[in-house]
Parts: sequence; structure tokens; C-alpha cells
Amino acid sequence: MDPTHLQTVGLLIDIFAAAILVTAFLVVSSRSLVFYIRLFALQSFFLGVVALLVVLGYGETHILIAAVLTIAIKAIAIPVVLSRVIERIHVRKEVDFSINIPASLLLCGGMVILADSVAHSILDAQRADAPAVSRVLSVSIAMMLIGLFIMMTRKKAITQIVGLLTMENGVFLSGLSITYGMPLIVEVGIFFDILVAVLILGVFIFRINKTFESISIDSLRSLRE
Amino acid sequence: MSDVPAIVLLSLLQLLLVLASAPLISGIIGKTKARFQNRQGAGILQPYFDLAKLLRKEVVVSPVASWVFRSTPYLVFASTLVIALLVPTVVVPVPLDWVGDIITVIYLFALGRFFVALVGLDTGSAFGGLGASREMSIASIIEPAMMLAIFTAAVTAGSTNLSVIVATLSSTPASMLNPAHLLAFSGLFIVTMAETGRIPVDNPDTHLELTMIHEAMILEYSGRYLAFIEWSSQMKLAIFLALLSNMFFPVGMATTLAPWALFVGCAAFFAKVIVLAAIVAVVESTNAKLRLFRVPELLMVAFILSLLALILYFIVGA
Repeated sequence: MDPTHLQTVGLLIDIFAAAILVTAFLVVSSRSLVFYIRLFALQSFFLGVVALLVVLGYGETHILIAAVLTIAIKAIAIPVVLSRVIERIHVRKEVDFSINIPASLLLCGGMVILADSVAHSILDAQRADAPAVSRVLSVSIAMMLIGLFIMMTRKKAITQIVGLLTMENGVFLSGLSITYGMPLIVEVGIFFDILVAVLILGVFIFRINKTFESISIDSLRSLRE
Repeated sequence: MSDVPAIVLLSLLQLLLVLASAPLISGIIGKTKARFQNRQGAGILQPYFDLAKLLRKEVVVSPVASWVFRSTPYLVFASTLVIALLVPTVVVPVPLDWVGDIITVIYLFALGRFFVALVGLDTGSAFGGLGASREMSIASIIEPAMMLAIFTAAVTAGSTNLSVIVATLSSTPASMLNPAHLLAFSGLFIVTMAETGRIPVDNPDTHLELTMIHEAMILEYSGRYLAFIEWSSQMKLAIFLALLSNMFFPVGMATTLAPWALFVGCAAFFAKVIVLAAIVAVVESTNAKLRLFRVPELLMVAFILSLLALILYFIVGA
């Protein structure tokens, strides 16, 4: 590997990591459920591209399968399933928030700063020949926090799933950034776990909608005979 | 570039360039939007004819209007011209770069906005007051977003002087693709749309909607007053597009005063600004105007993009 090649790959990884972070922020800034799903697909696609860049730049071929699986499952399969669920339940907008959008965006901005300071204390302990991709550790921690934040503040069950998936993307990115990805068998296990979870949750949302005539998690508190 | 005649000549050239090209840019945007709506549309020179017509027309002033009403068009026009002297368009460094930096530019814009808002209130019409209050409440969110986006570029260059920012960036072309840079660019683009009254925030083509902002404030103007106000808004758009293109992609700018370098600089300036104007027209044609209460959300996105840019600058480094 010549250094200019590595530098180009490093720059591209930075750009796509920034794009991933931006998609997470756009999810926080919007109300349309369809838009959430599209953004999540885009986010997963960028994640797949980052994984592919790690393969190209550092020759870690075992990530290739994980990258392809990321694009196939998270950028295509899961969005398709979720879009079908949205079509069937006729709920298109997230209307009530616990925290309004401008305040949410500011809080998430604060979380990025927090994530960066946390990541720095981790990275400082790392060895000196750390790969360029470790810089995206802050982005991945921020993604986990933002995913958790989405789950806490949004009321629609679909959005909860998007929050969960955003957190999962963050976990994958952090694995990628510190150790060039977890062992393949773990990754594959997680992928199918997530896929099945989304399938089950999709059916679950459909049933919730049928029983409560709403997918707002607030109405889950009232019990029905 | 220390002799006085060269400085004067070059400054005049820059002034004329912005003055003369501003209506053309508006014309190009208008034409592009018309094509999007399957209309033939007016020619791209139409804004020049409009300005010429307005300058010949008589001025009607309400009897209750004060001196603020009469002086504001000149004040806004003059402050925009001063900004046109400070923003790098074709040559870098700008001959008058010691006069003021980017913060001066932001506050000269704020000065113009302050007086236009006063005019909205001055004539006592309901529309004017409504437009003025909206303009100021939106401006209070635009300004921090604009500051942050510009400071990201300033931090990269280590100076708030526009010419230094542009010169530093053109000497290290790789940093144009820095993610912090790209994010700050998108933040400033949203700010530009809001600041120049373009569609997701305000509709520049209407005088009839209850949602208008800028048009509501200048509703009482006619004749040459209106011409100066319109011309200033067109120059404002041109200046913002010049800022967007030169602060973030300073390709092909002249660094010497050789005729060939100046020619390339002019060509690059027009190419970049026309591309940006086309993007503005596409955004305007493909988006609906936001409800006024949703505008803060859009501007908050711009603010956060700029904030992320600044954070990423420290995470990733330049």
C-alpha cells in the first residue's frame, strides 16, 4: 500500500462517516415515516461503502462479506419490509414529540461533542500505529447515542425500530473503527438477528395497530380486556 | 498591489462586475424556474428591463412616511456595494481586504436588514409590520447558523479575512473535500436560501400571499426606490453565491493582474455562479414553501450542519 492511496481511502472514509452522521441528524429533523426509512437505507448504504473502503485500503478481506451483507440486508431488505408495514397501517407522520425538533437537534449536537470527548479518551490509550478509520469512533458513539435518543423521544413504534437500527449501525461502525470489524460469525449472527427482529417487530406493529388503532406507544399503557 | 491607481481600478472593476451581473443571475434563475414549470418564461435579460423601467417611473410616497422611508433604499444599496468590494469574486486578495473581514460583511447585511424592517413599520401598513416581525425572528436564527458555517472556513484558514481564507484554501486543494468543509457548505447553502428569501423560506415571486416576508416589508415602495431595493436584493444573491463558490471551491481565481489570469478568473466566477444559480432554481422548483412555523426547523438543520462541521473539523482535522 503506498501512502497516497491510503490517504485517499482515509479521506473517503471521513467523507462517508460524515454523511452517515448527517443522515442520523436528518432522521431527527424530519417527521415523515417514509423519509425515516429512506434515510436509514441511505445510512446503511454509506456504512456498507465505509466497510468496502476498509477492505480496499487495509486489505481486510473478511469485512467484504459483512459489507455486502450490510448493503443487502440493511440498505435493501429491512427498508422494503418497513415500507410495506407503513403502507399497510396508513400512518405516515410522526406528530407528537416529547421534545420538539429544534431542541432535539441541539441535544444531538451536544451528544456528538460528548461522543467525541469519550472517543478521545479511548483513542489516546490506543497504540500509535492506529489506522485512519479509528477516527470515526466518535461518529459511531454519536450514532449509538442518537439512536437511543430517537427511541426515547419519538412515540411511533416504527420510529422506535429506526432508532434501534441506527444504534445497531453505530455498533457496527465502532467495531469497524477499532478492530476492523468483529469476527465474521458474530457479524453474520447480528445481521440475521436484526433481520428477524425487524420482521417480527413489523408483524407486531401491525397487530398493535389493529388492536389499538394507533401505533403510538403511549396508548400501550392502557390495558384492554 | 500597493500602488493606489491599481487598487482603485481593480475595486471599480469588482464593483461593476457585481452590479452588472446581479440582475443576470436573477434572470437565469427565473428562466430555469420557468422551464421547470413548462413555460417559455421571460428572457434572462428581463431583470435589466425591469430595473430600467422602475428607474424611470415616478415615486409615490405615503404622507405618513418619515425620512427612514426615503433614505433606506440608498442606505441598503450603499451597504451592499461596500460588501461587493470586500467579497472575493475574481481576484484574490481583494484590493480592499484590509477594510473589513467576514464579520464586517455579516453586519453590513444586518444593517441593511435593520433598515428594511424599520421601513416595514414606518408606513404603518399591516403587511409591513407583519413582514418586519417575521424577517427579524427568522434573522435571529439565520445569523448564528451563518456565523458557524463561516467560522468553520475561518478556523481552517486561521483567519477571518475573506481573502486569506480563499488564498489558504486554493493553496491546499485537497482540503476542499474535507467533510467539515462540505458540511459547512451545505449549512451555508440553506442559509443563503433563507437570507435571500428563496422558496423553502420565502417566495420571491409573490406579492399576494399572506406568507410573504421580504415582499411584505417593501410593499410600499415604487419607482426608483423599488429599483434600488430590488437591485440590492439581486446583488445580495450574487454576493452569497460568490461567497459559497469562492470560500469553499476557489478554483481558477486570478492571483495576479495579468490579463489572461483576470479573464480566466472572470470565466471561472461566472461558471461557478451560474451552476449555483441553477441549483438554487432546482431547489426552488422541487420544494414547496414551508409553513412559517416550520422555518425554524429548517434553519436549525442549517445550524446543526454548521455545528457538525465545526466539531468534525476537530475530530478529523484539516
